Amino acid sequence: MKVFDIALKDLTRSFRSTFAVVFMLGVPLLVTGMFYFMFGNIASEGGFSLPKTKVVIANLDEGGPKFQVNPKNIPGGKKADTMGDLIVSILQSEDMADLIEVALVTSAESARTAVDSQNAQVAIIIPANFSHQFADVDGEAVIEFYQDPTLTIGPAIMRAILNRFMDGMAGVKIAVNVFLDEADSSKYVFAGQVVQLYLKDSLAESDDPAEELLDVRTPANGQNNEAEESQNLMLNIIGSIMGGMMVFYAYFTGASTAQSILREEEEHTLPRLFTTPTSQATILTGKFLSVFMTVFVQVIVLLIAARLIFGIQWGGILSVALMAAGIIFSASSFGIFLNSFLKNSKQGGVLFGGGLTVTGMMGMIKIFAMNSAIANKMGDTISLLVPQGWAIRGLMQSMNGEPTVSVLITLLASLVWSVTFFVIGVWRFNRRYV
Amino acid sequence: MSDVPAIEVLDLQKSFGENHAVQGVSFDVKQGEIFSLLGPNGAGKTTTISMLSCLLRPNNGDARVMGHSIRSDSTGVKSVLGVVPQDIALYEDLTARENLSFWGKMYGLRGSKLKLRVDEVLDVIGLRDRANERVGKYSGGMKRRVNIGVALLHKPKVIYMDEPTVGIDPQSRRNILDSVVKLKDEGMTVLYTTHYMEEAQELSDHIGIMDHGKLIACGTGEELVKLVGQQTRIDLTLNGDGSNVMQMWQAIDGVSRVSAEDGLVSVLVADSNLVLPHLFEAAAQLSIRITSVDIREPNLEAVFLHLTGRALRD
Ligand SMILES: Nc1ncnc2c1ncn2[C@@H]1O[C@H](COP(=O)(O)OP(=O)(O)OP(=O)(O)O)[C@@H](O)[C@H]1O
Ligand SMILES: [Mg+2]
Repeated sequence: MKVFDIALKDLTRSFRSTFAVVFMLGVPLLVTGMFYFMFGNIASEGGFSLPKTKVVIANLDEGGPKFQVNPKNIPGGKKADTMGDLIVSILQSEDMADLIEVALVTSAESARTAVDSQNAQVAIIIPANFSHQFADVDGEAVIEFYQDPTLTIGPAIMRAILNRFMDGMAGVKIAVNVFLDEADSSKYVFAGQVVQLYLKDSLAESDDPAEELLDVRTPANGQNNEAEESQNLMLNIIGSIMGGMMVFYAYFTGASTAQSILREEEEHTLPRLFTTPTSQATILTGKFLSVFMTVFVQVIVLLIAARLIFGIQWGGILSVALMAAGIIFSASSFGIFLNSFLKNSKQGGVLFGGGLTVTGMMGMIKIFAMNSAIANKMGDTISLLVPQGWAIRGLMQSMNGEPTVSVLITLLASLVWSVTFFVIGVWRFNRRYV
Repeated sequence: MSDVPAIEVLDLQKSFGENHAVQGVSFDVKQGEIFSLLGPNGAGKTTTISMLSCLLRPNNGDARVMGHSIRSDSTGVKSVLGVVPQDIALYEDLTARENLSFWGKMYGLRGSKLKLRVDEVLDVIGLRDRANERVGKYSGGMKRRVNIGVALLHKPKVIYMDEPTVGIDPQSRRNILDSVVKLKDEGMTVLYTTHYMEEAQELSDHIGIMDHGKLIACGTGEELVKLVGQQTRIDLTLNGDGSNVMQMWQAIDGVSRVSAEDGLVSVLVADSNLVLPHLFEAAAQLSIRITSVDIREPNLEAVFLHLTGRALRD
């Protein structure tokens, strides 16, 4: 009973402090809100627009087979003499104008320079032999894709567009190759006809490539509603940011609430508690419980607020419960653990500035890496070295609709961290106050 | 039962490294009395109180509070005890009512009984009409009163008050001193520490004088004053070199001691009425002017000076 009295008293104090509430709830929601408005506003528009990606294209394609593509079927109605021209036309078409801003350069070098000097986010270099390779049965038509490594979203969108195009073309190429096997190899004109067919059938029918191209992930609950699908990428981005913020600030709350043990020592209320007929075990348990309860309230409020304000889909109810438990337990116990090494609350700056920020960043590396494959793989390893990484892993799993068992396994890993931290922290605090 | 002392202190010792903060202190506090520990800063008062409330473990010695040993029965000690710490120990972001309510729970009070006691204590400390304001917004004196109120909630048999009047306005101080006397009237035993000798003299049934970790004298106010032989102290300021006139004063009948400190000359006498004219006479002979005279009837200050050779407020 006294345990709860102590914990409730702390909870009251935490949520009465404006500063604490701002950091617990305000900042994570505000930062997420910032991104939300940067990416547009679903509520008022029913759709959203990403900032345009600046693309420079060096089309060096010298041509190969003769094309006979009816300009009517090429987006923008331009003349295309080579496969390279075709790609440029498609990227310059009006349909793409919402997404990308295209500039043409004449050499591969100047395309790369544009990215290096941050005048563009992506450079696309179509090599001189592109059309040739495309028409060649054994040839490999490769487009060079050069991006600013610090950016994620713009290049990812660009890559999605190109992949889609190349996937379509791969189908065409097979058709072309089959055709070339059977016919006179000099009659390249037919190749052009096949391309035309492809453009007519597939590309032209889609009137909003943005909608289609951005549907990178499937929604967690498997809904196929078109309007919702169009928001999936954004919700995923916003969801990851919100999730990352939530984990980071849950750890912040854990550490700062656990610090109230040190602060009570300095405010003389802890010694006074020791003069009441209340055992040390009860007092410390109450203090520890208050850390768990404060983080619990924070995480639950953030989950619900983010769902209501931003429409973020956290996943199935069981998965969400499991991943939330992972965050709450690991954040609280990590806070208790860290504080047990401090002499006084003045050293808290070191704790927040150093320990929490560094481990927090490590844990969130996957969110920053987003679509870059190498960083993603590396991020996997690094983030799992810190408890925050496991908290985020559970969160991502739940959001991506992975099986509950996977989320449960991640939770178990989080609990191993938590128990270790908790035991060490409790042991150290107990020893401190005998 | 009421013959048993409320507090029995036996040779308590506590050192912090080389600093021997308390060096073998023994005294008894009778049930229902106010006992003051009087001493300057660093005398060891708080350290003694901390040991008596089971916050610090003594290096040696023991004490019993209402029969419970501080060494072997700390739970028993804590249950009969209310402690008013020297430093204000309250939650500033909670209101006075919330503070009292929380601490009441820590003393095992619940429900309607708790609510009743909180209201009663708010009346005692005179803060009922401002009970719902956060303690952080209170003045120093109001905080001190809440700090005391917390220790009264469970109606303890014994209450320790460690310098409860430090740094507050005269009105709050008066209020606190009056409430201490009321506590005694209600049958509580009070162990009070202070470095204001007037407080000790006014409140206490018995006084222990502490210095450098030792209890150098103990008794009622009167008993202690007798130690300096009922002598009156006359403090004088002179213009000019006082060494010659001091020699002449020392020779006057009825003067027991003459000492000088910081330009102030103190003369201990049996009867100031008889001696004072002779002091002026002697000064006039040497053409020395007396610019101020202050007569101090025997008090604890004089006792402390007598016992230690230093003024209490050094
Ligand atoms: N926790 C501690 N660690 C080290 N030294 C201490 C500690 N507490 C007290 N002391 C030392 O013990 C001596 C007695 O201190 P104490 O606080 O008991 O004096 P006090 O009589 O209460 O003085 P004051 O009137 O200033 O409150 C001092 O020299 C003090 O520096
Ligand atoms: Mg003290």
